Amino acid sequence: MRLFLIFLRIGVMNEFQYRINLAVQLLQSLIAVGTGLVVLALIFQQTTTLSGWTQPELLVVMGVYTIVGGIVGFIIEPNMGQLMQDIRMGTFDYLLTKPADSQLLVSVRQFRLWALTDVVVGCIVGAWGLASMSATVRPVDAVGFVVFLGAGAVLIYCVWLLITTGAFWFVRMEMVQELFQGIYRAGQYPVSIYPTWLRTILTFVLPIGFAVTFPSEALTRRATVTWALVMIGFTVALFVATRLVWRIGTRRYSGASA
Amino acid sequence: MDTGGTVSAGESIVVDELGKTFKVPVREPGLRSAVTSLFNRKTKDVVAVDEVSFTINAGEIVGFLGPNGAGKTTTLKMLSGLLHPSGGRADVLGFTPFDRDKDFLRQITLVMGNRNQLQWDLPAVDSFEMSRAVYRIPRVDFVEQRDELIELLDLGELVSKPVRNLSLGERMKAEIANSLLHRPSVLFLDEPTLGLDVTMQRRIRSFLADYNKRHNATVLLTSHYMADVEALCRRVMVINNGSLVFDGDLEALSDKFADHKTLVVTLSEPVDLSDYGEVVDDSSPSRPTIRIGGDQAASVTSRLLAEQPVLDLTIEQPPIDDVIEQAFGVEVEAESEAPA
Repeated sequence: MRLFLIFLRIGVMNEFQYRINLAVQLLQSLIAVGTGLVVLALIFQQTTTLSGWTQPELLVVMGVYTIVGGIVGFIIEPNMGQLMQDIRMGTFDYLLTKPADSQLLVSVRQFRLWALTDVVVGCIVGAWGLASMSATVRPVDAVGFVVFLGAGAVLIYCVWLLITTGAFWFVRMEMVQELFQGIYRAGQYPVSIYPTWLRTILTFVLPIGFAVTFPSEALTRRATVTWALVMIGFTVALFVATRLVWRIGTRRYSGASA
Repeated sequence: MDTGGTVSAGESIVVDELGKTFKVPVREPGLRSAVTSLFNRKTKDVVAVDEVSFTINAGEIVGFLGPNGAGKTTTLKMLSGLLHPSGGRADVLGFTPFDRDKDFLRQITLVMGNRNQLQWDLPAVDSFEMSRAVYRIPRVDFVEQRDELIELLDLGELVSKPVRNLSLGERMKAEIANSLLHRPSVLFLDEPTLGLDVTMQRRIRSFLADYNKRHNATVLLTSHYMADVEALCRRVMVINNGSLVFDGDLEALSDKFADHKTLVVTLSEPVDLSDYGEVVDDSSPSRPTIRIGGDQAASVTSRLLAEQPVLDLTIEQPPIDDVIEQAFGVEVEAESEAPA
């Protein structure tokens, strides 16, 4: 934890030197959200609900999607990118000579502060959606939202780390990473609008459904206790599995020049 | 963890018949075999380190020499816990390196001249701060050690500039400082002066000698620069094809094997110089390279100047790789071809 805070402080301080990035990032978030809004508007010219989701509810989904994207861009993506580079360049050797948990170390080294603008923009869009909804948000919904959001972030982290750990076995993994980013875009809409097979994949294999749709469902009173337990159980199981694979991978790792 | 106490007082590193064999995939050239190898991967065993044994005492600086691919880096990696040995055992400070015990890792450091670990976009001081967190160095010790390193390595203001703005030499000094903040007692240095200019090499050498004296640190150093080894190490180990072929005083090594010099002679017209020494390179006839005995430099040079149309002449110490190859290459190769 202390390690995390020190790394966070340094990363954040450093990011402040590059204020121009803030503007670029802000522009990016606005364009992404703007396009999403246009698409939503187009859809709702034809219909009033999409698989049972109303327009304000889909705004909430888009808000959550943007928030999760911000969290991923803030901590998960930069760290995983750095890890992949380290494995390829052989500098991963150094990490294994440190008296700290190597998985923790690779997960908290880099921060892209300005990605958090996505979180802010996402909150605004989400709040707008909530305000346009007829139902109000009860405290239990809010708690469910926060728990699901946290668990969702952990799930995405696990999947991403699992993919990256593949670099211990195969050298070129960037394509897989890009694929993941592409698939993440599918999370813009609730997974329930997709056919069953795709929904299953998006929920359990690439847990975008868990990460985006579930928190949104909590806010729109769709969540059930059963699914909450499934999600938490799945998160814990995947986290344990990821740790195991990490251990095996690092034991197997033999350095780029060896 | 109790490792059986094979390290007795004063001994820092004990290596006993340590070996490492890599399995590498082999395939014939061509598309067809590329496809077949997807399903039926053939591997062959490559012995990188072959039953190497040695003992290094606390406070010793040992030069670890050998041609590229001889097994130096592999040995260093096994000793620093990065690679699991295929056979034999290693003890460093009473620990088995590959267990990666935190108490072990806190006492060692690994520096590789060709690989950076400082954060590229951050000033080095920020990376130092990260190291402090990773090694859990108490604030007081950290500040003291950091300032000492900054002073000894003459880093000054450089540590507050982003690392990407530093020159190669400056960066290497900052890398070394970062690797020593936790005051390790065993240093594994793999080509720490790689690519640096002579002044910077000298600076790093004198720093390492100083650090070794101050903290009685054990240093195992690989380098391609004979000068590094001469300045720092009284003892050298030479590894070739994975086997330790020499372990002893530096004097013994250079007396025995580096007892020749290379003369590069620029002539106004091509002349055969084989009367003066062994011609090792005559690809450009008016600028041949000859090899002579180490004590003949003066006599051969004056003879050449008197008898031949010499325009220019340089005397060179043979590069360490040549010395080693010349000294051990033939012998070891012949051995490895004998039926195993």
